[in-house]
Amino acid sequence: MSVRITQAMIARGTLGSIQDVSGRLTETQRKMATGREITRPSDNPFGTSRALSLRTELDGLKQLQRNIDEADGWLTVTDSALDKMTSLVQRVRELTVAGASDSAGPTARNSIADEIDQLIKAIKQEANASYGGRYVFAGTETETKPYLVDGPDAFQGNGQPIAREIGPGVSVQVNTIGSAVLGNGNADGVDDGRLLDTLRDVVAHLRGGTPADANALRGQDLRDLDQGLQDLLRTRAGVGALQKRLEAAGARIGETQETVKGLLSKTEDADMAATLIDFSTQQSVYQSALKAGANIVQSSLLDFLR
Amino acid sequence: MPVSSFMGLQTTLRGLLAQQRALDVTGHNITNAGTAGFSRQEAVMAAAPALRVQAGAVQGGGGSDLGAGVDVLEYSRIRDTFLDAQFRGQNTVLGDRSATTSGLERAELALAEPGDAGIASLLGEFWNGWADLANAPENQAARQALVDQGRTLAEAIKTLDTQLVNVGQQALAEYADLNREGGEIDAMAEEIARLNRAINSSVESGTTPNDLLDRRDLLVDRLSALGTVSVAPVAGFPGSVIVTLGGEELVNHTTSATFPITFDPGPPGGRLGALQRIGQTTVPDYREDLRVFAQQLVADVNGAHPGFFGATAANEAATIAVAATAATLAPGSSGAPGHNDQALAAAALRGGAADGRYARLVTKIGGDLRNARREESNAQVLTNSVDDRRQSVSGVSMDEEMANLVRFQRGYQASARAMNTASEILDILINRTGRVGL
Repeated sequence: MSVRITQAMIARGTLGSIQDVSGRLTETQRKMATGREITRPSDNPFGTSRALSLRTELDGLKQLQRNIDEADGWLTVTDSALDKMTSLVQRVRELTVAGASDSAGPTARNSIADEIDQLIKAIKQEANASYGGRYVFAGTETETKPYLVDGPDAFQGNGQPIAREIGPGVSVQVNTIGSAVLGNGNADGVDDGRLLDTLRDVVAHLRGGTPADANALRGQDLRDLDQGLQDLLRTRAGVGALQKRLEAAGARIGETQETVKGLLSKTEDADMAATLIDFSTQQSVYQSALKAGANIVQSSLLDFLR
Repeated sequence: MPVSSFMGLQTTLRGLLAQQRALDVTGHNITNAGTAGFSRQEAVMAAAPALRVQAGAVQGGGGSDLGAGVDVLEYSRIRDTFLDAQFRGQNTVLGDRSATTSGLERAELALAEPGDAGIASLLGEFWNGWADLANAPENQAARQALVDQGRTLAEAIKTLDTQLVNVGQQALAEYADLNREGGEIDAMAEEIARLNRAINSSVESGTTPNDLLDRRDLLVDRLSALGTVSVAPVAGFPGSVIVTLGGEELVNHTTSATFPITFDPGPPGGRLGALQRIGQTTVPDYREDLRVFAQQLVADVNGAHPGFFGATAANEAATIAVAATAATLAPGSSGAPGHNDQALAAAALRGGAADGRYARLVTKIGGDLRNARREESNAQVLTNSVDDRRQSVSGVSMDEEMANLVRFQRGYQASARAMNTASEILDILINRTGRVGL
C-alpha cells in the first residue's frame, strides 16, 4: 500500500523541520554571540571537564608567576642590601689598613674607630632592609628588626627559612638569614667570627693602642675582614644565582601559560570561520524550509476544483 | 411474478440516499481534519438486498435476484490498533526523556558552569587567596581576602546543594500533582470510565460510536506520555476496556482507580517514572557527589590549616562554613609572622582531589543531560515516525476528501438522472399510454 500523505502529516513535517533548522540556527547564533563553543556543560561534557582542568592549570601558572615576581622583589632588596654592606665593609677595610699603619697616631686611630662605629651602624641599618614592610634578613620574624642600630649586636630574628613556590611542587628559600652573614657580634662574650664580631674587634684594637693591638689590626683583623667580604660575596652570588633561576622558571611558566591558553581556547572557543559558514548555510536552509513549507501547505486539490 | 413498475424509482432513491450519506461522511472528515485523535471515517456501501423473483424473471420461466440498488452497510473508523500500541510505547519513552531533560536542565542551570559565579572559578580564587597569603603572611588584607574567598566558596557550595534539593523537590511535587485525586490523570481516568459506559451501551445496541472511540483512544495516547499504558477488553461488556498505567489498573469498565496510585511493580515509566527517578535517584546522586567534594575540600584544607573550615554535620555540602577569621588565620605553624608553611601547603592543593571531584560532578551532570537530550530527540523522531504511519492510515487527506466529494457528487447526480429516467418512463406509461385517438 502506498503511503497516504495527510494534511496533518504535512503540517507537522513542515513545522518540525522548520523548528529543527531554527533550533540549530539559534545554537549557532549563540556560539557567535558568546564566541564560545561551550557555554553549558552539556554542550560538550568531556570538553567542559578538560576546560575546567586547563583553567585550574592556568590559574595555578598565573599564581606561580605572581609568586616568582614576589620572590624576585624580595631577592632584589636582599641583593641591594648585601651590595651596600659590601661597600661599607670595603670602606672599613680601607680604614683598617690606614689605622694599622705605623704613621697613624692615637688621635687618628680614635677618629678612625669613631668612623667605623658609624659604619657598623650603617651596616646594621642595611641589615634591617625591608620589602613590603617585611624585614628580609629576620628569618620568619619578619616584623622584628633583625638588628638594633643603637643597641647590642645580637641578632633579633630567627634562623627559619621562608619558602616561595616557584614551580609546580618546587619551593625555594628566598630569605637570607642575617646572623649567617653578620653574626651576633661579641656581645654574648663568644667570638662567632662573623662580620659584626670582626668589626667590633677592629674598633677595639684601634682604640687599644698597644703594639699587640696594632699587630692584630695588621694580621688577624684584616684576614677576618677579607673572610667577611668573601662571605658577603658568596651570599650575593647565591642570591644572584637564585634570581637567575627565578628568571628561567618565569620564562618557562610564561611559555607553558601560552600553551595552556592555546589549548583552552581550542577547547572552549568557537571556530569563528566555521561558525560563520555554518550560520549562513543554516540561514539559507531555514529560508528554503520556510518557502517550501509555505508552498506545500498552501496547495491542495481545492485550488484546482471548480 | 411481475416486478413493480416503481422498482427503478426505489433503486435510484437508495442510490441518492447512499451518495448523500457518503457526502455527509466526507463533510465530517473535512471538518475534523484538524481534530486531535480523529480517525477518518468511511461510509461502507454494499449492494442492497436483492429482490427475489421466484419465477418468470428470465427466459424459460426461472426465477432470479434483481439488484435493488445500494445501501450503506456501516460507518467504519479507519484505524490500525497495532500502530496505536506502537505509538503509545514510543510516546512513553518520549515522555520519560523529555521530563528527564527538563529536570537535568534545571540541575545544569544551578551549576552556573562555566562562568565566574561557578564553583570552579571560586575554587580557583580560593587557591589564589592561599597563595597570596603564602607570599605575604603578615598582610592583614591578604588574610581578610582569603577568609572572604573561603566564605564565598562555602556559600556557593551550600547554595548549589539547596538548588539541587529544589530540583529534586520540584520533580517530586510535579509527580504528586499529576498523581493526586482530581489531578490530570484522575480527570482522564474518569473521562475514560464515562466513555466506557457510553461506548458499551452503543455497542450493545448495535452501533459503532466512532467519535467516542476516537476520544477514548486520544485519552489513552495522552496517558501514554505519563506512564506505560496497556488496554484490554472487559469480559462481558463489549466495547469497554481496562486501562492500566504503570502496571496498575487505572480504569476497569466504569470504575476508575483511587488516587494517589501506588505503583507497585516498579517505576511507572513515562513522565511519572522520570520525575520519580529525578527526585529519588538522580538528584540524591548529584548531592552525594557534591557532599563528597565538600568533604574532600574540608579535609584537605583543614589538613593544611587546622580549623579553617568549621566542623561539618552529616552533609558536608549543606553545612560547610569557614571557622577561621582574619585574626585566627595562621599562615605558618610556628606563629612567626613571616612563616608560611600552612598557607603554602593549602595553596598546593590547587588542582588536587577536591578540584577533581568537582569537575567530575560537572562532567556527570553535563554528560547525563547530553545523553537525555540525545535520547529525547531520538524518541521524538521515532514517535513522529510511528505517528506519521498512524496518520497515514487514519488521518484526513484533503486531496482524497476532495476527490471523494467529486465522486459522491457525481454519484448523486447520476442517481438523480436515473431516477429522472424512471420517472419519464412512468410518465409515458401513465400519461401517454392508452390515449390512442384522443
